[in-house]
Amino acid sequence: MARSGKRPVGGGGRGDVKESLIPAPSERLGSPSQSAPAVVLDGLTKSFPTRRGWLETIRHPLSTQYQQVLRGVSCTVHEGEFFGLLGPNGAGKTTLFKILATLVLPDSGSATIAGFDVVQDAREVRRVLSPVIADERSLYWRLSSRDNLELYGALQGLDRNASRRRAGELLEVVGLDDTGEKMVGSFSSGMKQRLLIARALIAYPRVLLLDEPTRSLDPVSARRFRAFLNEEIVGRQKCTVVLATHNAEEALELCDRVAILNRGQLLAAGTAQSIASDMGHDRYRLWTSDPSHPGIAALAERGVVEDISTRESDDPAWTVLEMDVPGGLERAAQVVAFLTEQGVQIARFEYVELSLADLIERVVEQRGANRGDTGAGGGTDA
Amino acid sequence: MREILSLIKASFRTAISYRLSIVLSLASLLFSVVPIFFVSRALQDTMAKHISTEGGVYFAFLLVGMIAYMYMSAAVNAIPTVVSSGVATGTLEALLATRAPLPSLLLGLIGYNFVWTTVRALAFLGAGLLFGVHLAWGQLWSSLLILVLIVLSYLPFGLIGAALMLAFRTTGPLGSAVLILSGLLGGVYYPTSVIPAGIQQLSLAVPLTYGLRALRRTLLEGMPFSVVAPDVITLLGFVVLLTSLGLLALAEALHYARRAGTLAQY
Repeated sequence: MARSGKRPVGGGGRGDVKESLIPAPSERLGSPSQSAPAVVLDGLTKSFPTRRGWLETIRHPLSTQYQQVLRGVSCTVHEGEFFGLLGPNGAGKTTLFKILATLVLPDSGSATIAGFDVVQDAREVRRVLSPVIADERSLYWRLSSRDNLELYGALQGLDRNASRRRAGELLEVVGLDDTGEKMVGSFSSGMKQRLLIARALIAYPRVLLLDEPTRSLDPVSARRFRAFLNEEIVGRQKCTVVLATHNAEEALELCDRVAILNRGQLLAAGTAQSIASDMGHDRYRLWTSDPSHPGIAALAERGVVEDISTRESDDPAWTVLEMDVPGGLERAAQVVAFLTEQGVQIARFEYVELSLADLIERVVEQRGANRGDTGAGGGTDA
Repeated sequence: MREILSLIKASFRTAISYRLSIVLSLASLLFSVVPIFFVSRALQDTMAKHISTEGGVYFAFLLVGMIAYMYMSAAVNAIPTVVSSGVATGTLEALLATRAPLPSLLLGLIGYNFVWTTVRALAFLGAGLLFGVHLAWGQLWSSLLILVLIVLSYLPFGLIGAALMLAFRTTGPLGSAVLILSGLLGGVYYPTSVIPAGIQQLSLAVPLTYGLRALRRTLLEGMPFSVVAPDVITLLGFVVLLTSLGLLALAEALHYARRAGTLAQY
């Protein structure tokens, strides 16, 4: 999937990173599998007791009903990878993050961060992993940005000088170095989000968890923030980032790989393109001057191409046809060769990328249904 | 230690950012000494015979009782309050995600409450000295040790309150029950000897009874530590027993909250 063209390079604001020479996601790692695993999830399950009404509680005071929020989630994120966790509300993303941050205990299965178990070695995990708690209220609003960072530096075990130096570095990195003694409470949402990120980075974590970091930002700030994440956090700080988001385009822009979580089940993981291919998405676009050529009709008759539709073209001399070509790239190449042989004039033939939102919908429909998930039982806003 | 001091510093800087609140709080404290002085002077003759072994001056008796009550109140309320506000604002989750150990976090979060209580106690004491209270300065360290033990004997109620807060989002009547019962039975406003005989036995189950008696005897009477040792040892017993219970309750509640995912759920 050609994503490099979409990569933000900053908009000149205070929070922007000056250089834009960071490699595109696909170029960052030769292959994710070449680097060591940073996060390993193995059959992770979690259920929470459900809240019951008064009547139900009085009738059955001792019974407890549980709602399963994670169902055997297994997955590996490699060092230096930007990994996206996608899924609708109640998919289990936040619960998964809280387990990784040692704030919630799993029922069964295991999760390790840089080799440390989140239950047995919780303190070690907190040394290498840092969650970005997206709640702005979790900052000390009556203190300055520097005071906030120095406090967390102390809590993360940095000595006074190291804490002060690191706070200075990070304030510069997130573009808050000119806020002086201004109280955090008077900051804009975007500034607070950047401070939350800086706070998470104070002790040089190896793994950073980001839970919907741009949800309270306006589109321009969100774009700048994504540029910052991509260029600074992964590019320079070399963090492994796991990003939970509802925003499919955000994930597409930033992530090397994505996983799709729905109702606690991990339905798919990989690059967006590999997931699309697994889902049987083989749609192509053909620019031709003769859309009614018998060669095209012949292919449709034989079932080599399916579901042909006509799209508008900028150039009236050319017509754009979209069609499914089941059978992968080889079959697509055969189609092009056949049409050329038949004398069909072809200006362009290209793969139609499925938007990530469509892809998620398709994965949830196909794999969710295959696993017997009819959507019953409801989900938590996990 | 650095974690604790940093948290205290953060709370201090937050508190002093509300300047008017600080000034008004101290001013009201100083003014509250005046009516206490006149009421205690009016009751001096009645109370004198009952407090003869605890200083004999009712104003000083009340002053020490109220200072101890301030610390007791801080010990009972501080931890549940910081846990409650930490859960509501999300700071608790952020703090627990750091590598700082839980005891350091709790001490750091409540530390400022005790600093502020000390400032108030000193202001209260200073006003008392202006109104003629005499202290046995020679027994200052013994008195401070007893005051620390009073705090430690009530801190476990704070731990249990925090446990209830984590598990049920409320401390229920625990805090107010402890404070009211200790105030009534522990000898804050009057010596326990004036309590009717049937109820007087209950005061034996209140740590403050022993703590205040020992504190007044050392600080107001100047009695040596050896004289108040039985009270101090009893107080120490309360500290050991209650602290074990408090820590157990908090550990269980924290485990429950981590299992039930309610650590940051308001």
